[in-house]
Amino acid sequence: MIDFLTYLITGALVGLLYALIAMGFVVIYRASKVFNFAQGELVVFGGFVVWWMVVDAGLPLWAGLPLAFVVAAAFGLLIERIFFSKLVGESVFAMVMVTIGLLILMRGLILVLFGPAVRPFPIVFPLQPIFLGDILIPRSLLIGGIITVIVGFGLSYFFNRTRMGLRMTAVAEDHQVAMSLGISVKRSIAFAWILGALLSTLGAVIYLSGKSLNFLASEIGMTALPVALLAGFESIAGVLLAGIIVGVIQGLVTGYVDPAIGASFGTVVPFVIMLAILFIRPTGMFGWKTIERV
Amino acid sequence: MDPAGVFSTSFARDEALVRTRGQWISLILFILLMFLMPYLVGPRLIAVLSVMLITGVVVIGLQINTGYAGQINLGQAAFMGVGAYTAAILASKFGLPFWLTIPLAGACSALFGFIFGLSALRIKGFYLALTTIAAQALFHFLVLNLPSNWVGGSNGISLEPASLFGFVFDSDRSIYYLCLVVTIIMTYGAFGIVRGWHGRAFVAVRDDDVASGMMGVNVVKTKATAFLIGAFYAGVGGALWAYYVRFVAVDQFTLFHSIWFIAMIIVGGMGSIVGALVGVVVIKAVQEAFVSMGPDLVQIFPQLGGEMVFAMLNIFLGGTIAAFLIFEPRGLMHRWSIIKRSYRIWPFPY
Repeated sequence: MIDFLTYLITGALVGLLYALIAMGFVVIYRASKVFNFAQGELVVFGGFVVWWMVVDAGLPLWAGLPLAFVVAAAFGLLIERIFFSKLVGESVFAMVMVTIGLLILMRGLILVLFGPAVRPFPIVFPLQPIFLGDILIPRSLLIGGIITVIVGFGLSYFFNRTRMGLRMTAVAEDHQVAMSLGISVKRSIAFAWILGALLSTLGAVIYLSGKSLNFLASEIGMTALPVALLAGFESIAGVLLAGIIVGVIQGLVTGYVDPAIGASFGTVVPFVIMLAILFIRPTGMFGWKTIERV
Repeated sequence: MDPAGVFSTSFARDEALVRTRGQWISLILFILLMFLMPYLVGPRLIAVLSVMLITGVVVIGLQINTGYAGQINLGQAAFMGVGAYTAAILASKFGLPFWLTIPLAGACSALFGFIFGLSALRIKGFYLALTTIAAQALFHFLVLNLPSNWVGGSNGISLEPASLFGFVFDSDRSIYYLCLVVTIIMTYGAFGIVRGWHGRAFVAVRDDDVASGMMGVNVVKTKATAFLIGAFYAGVGGALWAYYVRFVAVDQFTLFHSIWFIAMIIVGGMGSIVGALVGVVVIKAVQEAFVSMGPDLVQIFPQLGGEMVFAMLNIFLGGTIAAFLIFEPRGLMHRWSIIKRSYRIWPFPY
């Protein structure tokens, strides 16, 4: 019973971490219909910037972390300026392909800028776990989970209720129409990428706190994909629920099935879930159904 | 566009792949040159050429799937892996000859691709691309976790070189000829596919799947067929790879390789078989240049270290993909056709 509860709670918290990364996908998707394949690389970049500020430059945490977020935001803006501002009005296909190029480019860039060595990530959240009765909960995941929920509802409000958020949705729908309504397409997309970079850095801080860091950490970007898919790419608050579902399933499978079959089935569970969603209900739980006309 | 003075007087002539005598001569000369290559250049270059030919087969498959049918496929390396593993298992465990294992590898891989293409029943666009990522993840999981006496697990599988009537394809030169012949057959086949009924259905679905559905094209079937053909090519390429390296392991077929393949069709030009081959040659040549210049670069700038070559290669490749999509989305083949056209109508502007 204790085991079960531990798997359940840890799974849910890991799921919330996936949800945070998936939010990065959703934010960029909501604002530009672009599926950002380079999300994992953004996470790694954010992680390395935090390492650079706090460990390499030796800044204290209270100064280094905000500074790292500023650098990440600037990087998001830079990406938009270099690549996506030139693609306004182009097909979504081209933009998505550019994110694939970006994935490779950033992998190289991270190696050149920060080197191939495995780096220690600063301990942002205290390491000692919290005990709830006999159940052990990693502190960083718990704090991260709370942050994720707050950020999720905040962003959901922003996209559905504020003028700026609705503008971004309009841009995603059609560049030309948005422009003719007086909405700045470039500004919206730039804002989306800044948000995406910030969320990725936040994800990196929670994911990597007290762990080691190298460019392989980008795997989490691919694992977060099924979460965004289960929620439906348009829904931000839905990502929280989807994250918990995927996390709990993965946690239980890792806890019970893996020892039984002696293989790490838990790592592919998100992808199996993804295939299942794609075949059963491709728009996810809260996605928008679209009607296409010729 | 044909050169001035060339008119087609029959349907067969209008449909011909090779349209003029000049084109016939240059094609034959080119193929002759390819056959004479091993006597003209050193073994190092022949090895590079063999890899180019193998990759060429795989990328032609991707070109049909992505360039013609418009279905983004990020699992081409996994499909290639399925082919390579099938060939390796059939050859090493059952002792089948290569002229059986290569088509069987293609068929097996085609089946694998077809299953993922079937998801087009419910989904389209980037959602479909997601299933191919899942294919990549599942392929890795299956190979690493199935009992290792089936597929070799993380140790990979070694196999004997291909042989025909006692002749063993174990030297760089002989395997080059094997790759060359298979590539020529597959390229010819690709031209046939895209020229025929299927190719036209692919292009219609790519340009507008709703409209083509209303005009009587079976959209789901077309998409699934595109995956089937693309994966078949990948499987054949994978089988060649297995015979070339004589060892298959799961890390030869990662998502990263799939992205390289995508980069090749973007650079070469979407929707052109020759473009796929051009992309392969250009990207592979750059890759080779980086790898062979790497040690020198490290000597000149010792602070960079060996990893830097890999990093620079990535930066170059990522930058190339982005630059092509921004400045020339139709790839090198489009540039080439502009040059050819302006040469043919010279001195007139149009």
